[in-house]
Amino acid sequence: MALLELRNLHVAVAGRRVVKGINLEIERGELHILMGPNGSGKSTLLKAIMGIPGYTVVEGEIMFEGRDMRDLKPHERARMGIAMAYQSTRPIGVTLSRLIRELCRLYGTSPADVSGLGLEELLNRELHKGFSGGESKRVELALTILQRPKLALLDEPDSGVDLESIRVVGKAINRLVERGAAVLLVTHTGIVAEYLRRVDEAHVMIDGRIMASGELPHLLREVRAKGYSGLAGGGANERS
Amino acid sequence: MSVVDELARAGGTALYLQRNYDVLRRVVADSLRRRGLLLEPLREAVSRHSWVRKLLWRALPREEGVGLHGAFLYVPPGLRIQAPLTFCFVVSEAEQLVHNIVVVDEGSEVLMTSACASTERGEAHKGYTEVYLRRGARLNYVMIHSWMRETRVTAKTGVEVGEGGSFTQFYTCLKSSSTLTSDSRALLERRATALLSTLYVASPGSSTTISSTLILAGEGSRGEVLARAVAVRGAALRLPTRIEARAPGSRGHIECRGLQLSPDSRIETAPILCSLHGGSQLTHEAAIGKISEEELYYLMSRGFTEEEATSLLVRGFLETGIKGLPKVMRPQVEAVLSILARKAVG
Repeated sequence: MALLELRNLHVAVAGRRVVKGINLEIERGELHILMGPNGSGKSTLLKAIMGIPGYTVVEGEIMFEGRDMRDLKPHERARMGIAMAYQSTRPIGVTLSRLIRELCRLYGTSPADVSGLGLEELLNRELHKGFSGGESKRVELALTILQRPKLALLDEPDSGVDLESIRVVGKAINRLVERGAAVLLVTHTGIVAEYLRRVDEAHVMIDGRIMASGELPHLLREVRAKGYSGLAGGGANERS
Repeated sequence: MSVVDELARAGGTALYLQRNYDVLRRVVADSLRRRGLLLEPLREAVSRHSWVRKLLWRALPREEGVGLHGAFLYVPPGLRIQAPLTFCFVVSEAEQLVHNIVVVDEGSEVLMTSACASTERGEAHKGYTEVYLRRGARLNYVMIHSWMRETRVTAKTGVEVGEGGSFTQFYTCLKSSSTLTSDSRALLERRATALLSTLYVASPGSSTTISSTLILAGEGSRGEVLARAVAVRGAALRLPTRIEARAPGSRGHIECRGLQLSPDSRIETAPILCSLHGGSQLTHEAAIGKISEEELYYLMSRGFTEEEATSLLVRGFLETGIKGLPKVMRPQVEAVLSILARKAVG
């Protein structure tokens, strides 16, 4: 049984269908990369898996460890082992140190689990208030690690950050994988992949559909050669 | 274990405990007594020291019929007391009228806490506290109160801050009464500073008014009023605040935020800035809102139930009002905030 299985998944936002028939399986401990142009539905897909209200499954199924997730609230999905690192978020009215303390209590983890991610100077600040892009990405990954997830949904952790931060982001993702988490990593550019120890499979999502799947180097070459628009006619789940 | 031992273990230095009109405990560490610190019933102090009588109703408008049932604290010059001096007033039957006077002499620095409470038969508590800080004196005053719902509470604090002096006040209630009126006012002389901070969760169906006033009377004086107030179902909360600048180079700021956890609650902020001198600078910001769904779902997606997420956000909201709180009092106040946040969603 796959850890995550999406079957013909359609997701609507404000009545508009954004994800249009995704089929995807992720096994325990696998790292999948999901690439695609802006507006292709990548973030919507992650939020639907997390169960965020407003991202409505209108057709198909999200199965996690063989269980249909449809009626579960976000906190129930989180406690089953799904965690999400957001691409961007407005300030959350809790200090980072308080949230770390509460997550450690909830998941039996320790602040030492996220050492080396450069959080020290942010601890007493309100979460994401005035954080730089790199700081926000590091914090999101740290909070995800503290949830000790079985599946980590990472939404563009490499966008809008400098190269040094991307290196730290790569380190954090490797740490997640080392601890046994499966990862679905959304990236616009694929830059962060250079810092990852292993990528099991990559996918290209265009206009709500997965148009190609396969090994990352091959797909990156295809994207660079043809552009996303060139892959748009390639057919769903094309294998390299 | 004696009260003195307990006090010493908790790092305390003096304790004054009054139930209704009976002084149950009055303890002062020997080291402070030897250096001239006085802690005694106000009635005794007025009869023994003629200068104390002159301070009666100087920092507060006179209230008829209050009497002298309260504490008198005098801190001599040049004393630095980091551990808290504690006042406890408990009303356990009928009405309690309390009048306190605190004098901190030149250059001294004091941390003072007040723990006021009522029991089921305590009908009303009216507390009037006058504080006089002489030149360069500093007082951190942390008020943690806990009232039965039925007790009617009036708390008035008047403060005179002498030249270069500093006064900070943190006011919070572990349990709020159904009818509470609090009024704090401070008058600042030259280069004096003050911070009046309120952290309050109004209980269901309660009616509360918490007023804060700063008078910037001296050149270069600076003051800030902070309020963080949470209203649950049926609660009505008024937060009038005022800063009046009377001298050049004075600066004042009001920051007043309300959080409504229920659509049938009511919060009213009324920040007033009044400048009587062109060389002053006064600002204010006020906001009332509810918890945003985005914040709520963010925390829920991290594994917290809706109640837990709301409680975390309430706590975070209140926590922004404790800047400047003395480190030694942080654990106590943080514990109070955690309880308040849990109760707010309970």
